[in-house]
Amino acid sequence: MASDPKGSQLRRILLIFFSLSIILPLSSPSPTMHNNNWAVLVCTSRFWFNYRHMANTLSLYRTVKRLGIPDERIILMLADDMACNARNNYPAQVFNNENHQLNLYGDNVEVDYRGYEVTVENFLRVLTGRHEASVPRSKRLLSDEGSHILLYMTGHGGNEFLKFQDTEELQSHDLADAVKQMKEKNRFKELLIMVDTCQAATLFSQLQSPGVVAIGSSMKGENSYSHHLDPDVGVSVVDRFTFYTLAFFERLDMYSNASLNSLFTSYDPTLLMSTAYYRTDLYERPLNMVPVTNFFGSVMKTIPTDSAYPGFLVAHASEYATISAETETARVVLEDEADHSKTYDQSEKGLQHILDEWLKLLEGKLGVKDPEVLVAYGLGSMVLLLTISTWLSS
Amino acid sequence: MEVAEVEAEVEKKATATRSRLIVRLAALLVSHSTLVSVVCCLAGLIALLVLPLLAKNTYISENALLPGSANPVLSYQHVTQANNLIMDIMSIADDKQAPDIEIPKLIAKYMEILGAETYHHKFSQPQNQFHPLYFFSSSPNSPPTLANLSYGTSTVGIIRAPRGDGKEAIVLVSPYNTQNAGGIDASASASSIGLAFSVFSLLSRATWLAKDIIWVASDSRFGDHTSVSAWLNDYHNPNFIGDASSTRIFKRAGTMACGIVFKVVEKERREKYEDRDVVTLYAEASNGQMPNLDLLNVVHYLAVHRQGIRVRIGMFGGLVKSHLVRVLGEVMQQVGRFARSLNPDWRFEMPSSEYVEGTATLASSIYSQALGVPTGPHGAFRDYQVDAVTLELSPRFSLKNEHTRLAFLLKGGRLIEGTVRSVNNLLEKFHQSFFLYFLTAPNKFVSVGVYMIPFAFLVAPLPIIAASLFNLTSNRNPWRWLHTAKPLLITHTWSVVVTLLPFYISKISDLPSTHCMLTWAGGSLMALVILYIVFGSPYSKHVEWRLLKAVMIASVSIGLCLMSIINFATAQIGALFVVPMCLFALPIRVKTNNSLIRSMVMTCNLVMAVLGFPVTAVALMQGVIKGFGTVSILEFWDSMKFLWGWNSATYLYLVLVHLPCWLLFLHILFHPCR
Repeated sequence: MASDPKGSQLRRILLIFFSLSIILPLSSPSPTMHNNNWAVLVCTSRFWFNYRHMANTLSLYRTVKRLGIPDERIILMLADDMACNARNNYPAQVFNNENHQLNLYGDNVEVDYRGYEVTVENFLRVLTGRHEASVPRSKRLLSDEGSHILLYMTGHGGNEFLKFQDTEELQSHDLADAVKQMKEKNRFKELLIMVDTCQAATLFSQLQSPGVVAIGSSMKGENSYSHHLDPDVGVSVVDRFTFYTLAFFERLDMYSNASLNSLFTSYDPTLLMSTAYYRTDLYERPLNMVPVTNFFGSVMKTIPTDSAYPGFLVAHASEYATISAETETARVVLEDEADHSKTYDQSEKGLQHILDEWLKLLEGKLGVKDPEVLVAYGLGSMVLLLTISTWLSS
Repeated sequence: MEVAEVEAEVEKKATATRSRLIVRLAALLVSHSTLVSVVCCLAGLIALLVLPLLAKNTYISENALLPGSANPVLSYQHVTQANNLIMDIMSIADDKQAPDIEIPKLIAKYMEILGAETYHHKFSQPQNQFHPLYFFSSSPNSPPTLANLSYGTSTVGIIRAPRGDGKEAIVLVSPYNTQNAGGIDASASASSIGLAFSVFSLLSRATWLAKDIIWVASDSRFGDHTSVSAWLNDYHNPNFIGDASSTRIFKRAGTMACGIVFKVVEKERREKYEDRDVVTLYAEASNGQMPNLDLLNVVHYLAVHRQGIRVRIGMFGGLVKSHLVRVLGEVMQQVGRFARSLNPDWRFEMPSSEYVEGTATLASSIYSQALGVPTGPHGAFRDYQVDAVTLELSPRFSLKNEHTRLAFLLKGGRLIEGTVRSVNNLLEKFHQSFFLYFLTAPNKFVSVGVYMIPFAFLVAPLPIIAASLFNLTSNRNPWRWLHTAKPLLITHTWSVVVTLLPFYISKISDLPSTHCMLTWAGGSLMALVILYIVFGSPYSKHVEWRLLKAVMIASVSIGLCLMSIINFATAQIGALFVVPMCLFALPIRVKTNNSLIRSMVMTCNLVMAVLGFPVTAVALMQGVIKGFGTVSILEFWDSMKFLWGWNSATYLYLVLVHLPCWLLFLHILFHPCR
């Protein structure tokens, strides 16, 4: 049988396909599914010479927008306005590279918290969702228990703190406390904290909530350095860690399946001049199974409906679930991803109509509450599977 | 019995420990006062000599400055325009048709072409008068009376920052002399204007300005300082009294962030061949105030690391050649080497040549601060708490050649452009770096924490000696010092009279300085005699010489400490003279057992009685610095006039602290010792 790998592969896929289609709708409600993405991007420092921090944040903003997080799900906090600073040689423009190819401050930049609004208090309020009644929805993090949140922060930091606005500090236990509150209030499913500052790793030391993965630009006792200086603008325009993060993302689009692990291991300490540190002990999933787009992109899920009215959706609900589950399976297996999709396509073409027939039959019967009937159908499908596989291997 | 004795002893010890530690420590110091004072004085002298070794490299401590992070954009186009202006100025100067009117007009015309707001500022020569009440106040200038005096005209242009808030300004000052427009260094003088114009024309098109730019082309016919200080005075003290019909326009542009004064000086005879253009920095303002070290660092960094210009600061050339300093340098090198062989971590080894240069520069730095007279027009800015520095640019090649002139203007202009852009980046006043420092090289400094040590060592024995002398007196009355307060009071009253006498002498016009000097001396003597007649002899029977010395030492240490707050450098040099006088003072008639020591002390006393006299002390200082050939005691009046003309507190120190100390010293020396 080894002489026919194609056939066995096909079988395996069909097996998975069928078993899933039977089991999933029955299994007890699993932890909430990942169903939306949020990003909180924070630049904490003021003053002209900290131009690069604003450029860092705006670059990340542009990247997550490009990868599919819509503006209403990005909370952008910028502590100062470099674009309109009188010292800016390019009025109303911000660049993160001396080649000036990309104006980060072009159209469609929605800054949610700006200038002196960026305080530790407001930051913690955004995370924990404890706003005053007058705060508009656009300035709130309206995430739920199915949200994946990207929290990116940059500024000047030190051992277990991050400086806000030259006057206050966010300490590591403040951050940990906010994250714990978020967990208690079911405000996220998974949280990725990315920090570009000196001694960034120390900021994560107090975290203890499950579902959190954190990466920082430098270890304790290390500085994070700027990448290069723009001789026209007269300041450093981007930090090293962010620069190489952006370089990683520039190769990707929203359909890419590069894993978090490949991002985390892409940092070269000699280029960074610091050691990128990531903390994964609070995170259940293996990093090489998590696509970066789980955090930096958005859940791409369309809900096909025949009708606008929910009453007519019953027949399609399970189908939808099936498809999404199947996509999940396909996505999680990242290695040989291309091969898989190819095989899948072929099998889909060949057996399309048979499957459709069988599915329709199944769906019709699944409406029945009697478990014995279900078991019978399950066995029937097994028999069918057996026949098909025998037929294929012969 | 024995046990009881031991117990009693223990109890005694316990009561002794109960008396406070600080009291016992003080008692210990007082009881060993001679040893303590000798050790402290030696330590002070050694600490002063090793200051060049303790100098640290300068560093830019304000993050916002970002010097040299932007590429200079001053181009040949700007420089060529500036060259046209230089040519025009030279032709006016050659025609000799009222250059003092035509040149300001010409500069104003050029400024207006750039779109700058322009006006002329007229000022007259201030009368160099003695103002006893104006010491420490910002400006002694009286409102200008332009009636029929000759006056100078400065031309001022302002560029508004296109997107700035208009609350801050950077001031560029380029002095030029219309009286000497056709003179020897006319091309250099015109080049200063050209240099300023090239930078100004660049800045008028710059998009990155956050602070307004003021260019003051100051008329230096009454000296560089006068015009700048007159303009600053009018800038900060608006005069609303004038009648409405007067059309004096005066425009302003917010708080000054920094002042940059630059002038081109072409040295006719160079001491040695220069392979680079040189910029000499002058930073000392009145009463030893210095601009923030960051400003000097920015200029130094840009000049050395961006434009390749050599940076110099004031140095006493005489000290470099002095054998004594050279020997000291060798000793320091050996000591450093020895220390390093003991512990490789002790790295204060310094080549002797470096030590010699460091010492010569440090001496110049201390002397310029101690004099309390600004070394250039930047001093006028410091009176308004604005950091400023004077750059004296001297080109490597002659400015008469057009190509070398253009190249020089480009280099100098880029240096100034870089400095302006750096200061433009500032968000606050200069505050990060040091204000109190001595320089031992353009990129090396001794900070206040280090240079205080020698002074502290020199002054520390004074209160200890005073306390031990007070204890040694035969009289046990705790108020016994009151009797000696009388001679002290007389001396200080006298010194106040001496301070004020020149005010009245200078009222009598047309006296040659020798006569003034003699009048001052005669008047002072007469005042002293009158005071003694009125208050009685200082040698009453209650006045013991020890008490008198204790009181003298106490008053001197108070005076020195006060002066160290006003102008540290003066106090430092003053302590070198005054502290030995205080420590060695001994009456001639006193009886001692050891005749050898007595004769040595007496010799020292007599030498100090001569050298400690303020007139000889000043002459000695100037001799050490400038060479003894040029010094004459009769110049004292002129140097004092120079000091009070600049409102230097050094004058007050000399007359109110040093002079009474010397007089009391003489009192002790001739004490009858009944």
